[in-house]
Amino acid sequence: MAPAVLLVTLFLLAPFVWTVYRSFFSDTRTSPFSWFDNYSLFASDPALSRSIQNTLMWVLGTVALPFVLGLAIACMTNAGRFSRLARLCVVLPYALSGSAVAVVWNFMLTTDGAVNQVLTGLGLDSLAQGWLLTWPGNTVVMILANAWQATGVAVILFLVGLQSIPPETLEAGALDGASGWQQFRHIVLPQLRPVSIIVIGMSLVNGLKSFDLIWVLTQGGPGRATETLAVSMYNETFLELRPGAGAAIAVVLTVIVLAASWLYLRRQLDVKGV
Amino acid sequence: MSLGRVLRNAVIAVLALLWLVPTWLLVVNALVPAGSYSGSPHWLPQHFGLFGNMSQAWDKANLGPALGNSLLYSVVSAAAAAVIAGFAAFATIVMPVKRQALWFWVIYSGTLLPLQVFIRPLFLSYAHTSLYDTQTGLVLIYTAIAVPFAFFVMRNYALTLPREVVEAARMDGASWWRVFWQIHVPLTRSAMIAVFVFQFVAVWNDLMFGITMVTSRNIRPVMAALADLQGNYSNVGPPIVLAGALLVSLPTVVLFFSAQRFFVSSLKIHR
Repeated sequence: MAPAVLLVTLFLLAPFVWTVYRSFFSDTRTSPFSWFDNYSLFASDPALSRSIQNTLMWVLGTVALPFVLGLAIACMTNAGRFSRLARLCVVLPYALSGSAVAVVWNFMLTTDGAVNQVLTGLGLDSLAQGWLLTWPGNTVVMILANAWQATGVAVILFLVGLQSIPPETLEAGALDGASGWQQFRHIVLPQLRPVSIIVIGMSLVNGLKSFDLIWVLTQGGPGRATETLAVSMYNETFLELRPGAGAAIAVVLTVIVLAASWLYLRRQLDVKGV
Repeated sequence: MSLGRVLRNAVIAVLALLWLVPTWLLVVNALVPAGSYSGSPHWLPQHFGLFGNMSQAWDKANLGPALGNSLLYSVVSAAAAAVIAGFAAFATIVMPVKRQALWFWVIYSGTLLPLQVFIRPLFLSYAHTSLYDTQTGLVLIYTAIAVPFAFFVMRNYALTLPREVVEAARMDGASWWRVFWQIHVPLTRSAMIAVFVFQFVAVWNDLMFGITMVTSRNIRPVMAALADLQGNYSNVGPPIVLAGALLVSLPTVVLFFSAQRFFVSSLKIHR
């Protein structure tokens, strides 16, 4: 046990404590203790307010899209001949890294990219645009790109959940005359509750932590318009050289992530009984 | 076939095609020879220039050393994390250690915190201790990051094992060290493999530490090289960047589909 405790303490917990500590000192040359000045930047700095807005959009998008699409695709492809093939198409992107997904979507979304090419080909020239250039459209398309990748894992998890549902319960429902939708609503959905919580919790935390996709696609730009908290922290610390502000963002992000983790950890730990 | 079935199949087909489009374009345009790329995306493969593109990407972004580095980081960190987490799980579950809950939280808390919280202190201390821009430095960080989640999975798996085996071995006079290697490790092998595969992919795909803790082109991991290549998008041209992305993704894609069983099981244990 000692090696694990040592590694974690040295490389993870000590830096964490240091970051919290650093967040209370300002970024002037002598770095005096400044109470919560760095935290008040969230109210005064327009780049950070935008970052908060974007983070909220990301959270909504990364929770809702993979959940709904994953559930729908898992239910529709649970049985059937072509379904394995169709499922493969959806799961495939999950095997790519965030950076590779960014490369693919850059190719789709640049001004002379595939999306604009299709729009022009369909005679919809007016819709063709620089997708990554204007807010809030750029954040929205990046959330879609993220959903393209993240839906795969939701599909896998929902399938595992669906296959663990005893078929007798569905047969009983059918005998009692429940329609397809009623069966889904009253028999399948309640039994998918545990899986749903995992999918939501995982998507939520991954959405909050997402960095690679945004960094490779836009570096948070243009003009810091597409930053989320994870990217803002990196920008403030390593590019703007304001480590105090960066530390404050990291702490706020931590609090949000911990709160989100609580959502599904509470269940896990109850069951496992630590 | 009923109307509902037809409708359902149609929806599946449309969704699958929609999903396939980016992947399809990635492959098709990585095939287009860089010289004959016309400026707008191709939709059908014509000539086969994939290997030419890959070798250009290889040269332009120094992919050779980057792939070697990432292989080293992923294998060593994932294996080390699996063993270290195995030790910790063994100690907190099998051995009679006091304050198990405390140790659990000390180790497990590492996976709850976002990586952004660690990065600057690590960066500063690395700059002070000459670990900055070294392979050892990155292996240490990747291992430390991987341990908490690996520990969580291994521990949950160890909870399901029967205690009687270990008790019998102890009665026969086996040391804890022997019990670990000869009984615990064989019993938890499938969890260990799941952890290894999962962490291998996580380390391989990391970007943030790769662009922060390293400056030399012959130390950096593969995703940092890809980000660099993407940064030269307009100079190098789309076919080469896409071929590079394809090349660096191949190992994890192959691993993912050959070890999908383990992925699913590690996700299930996660619950």
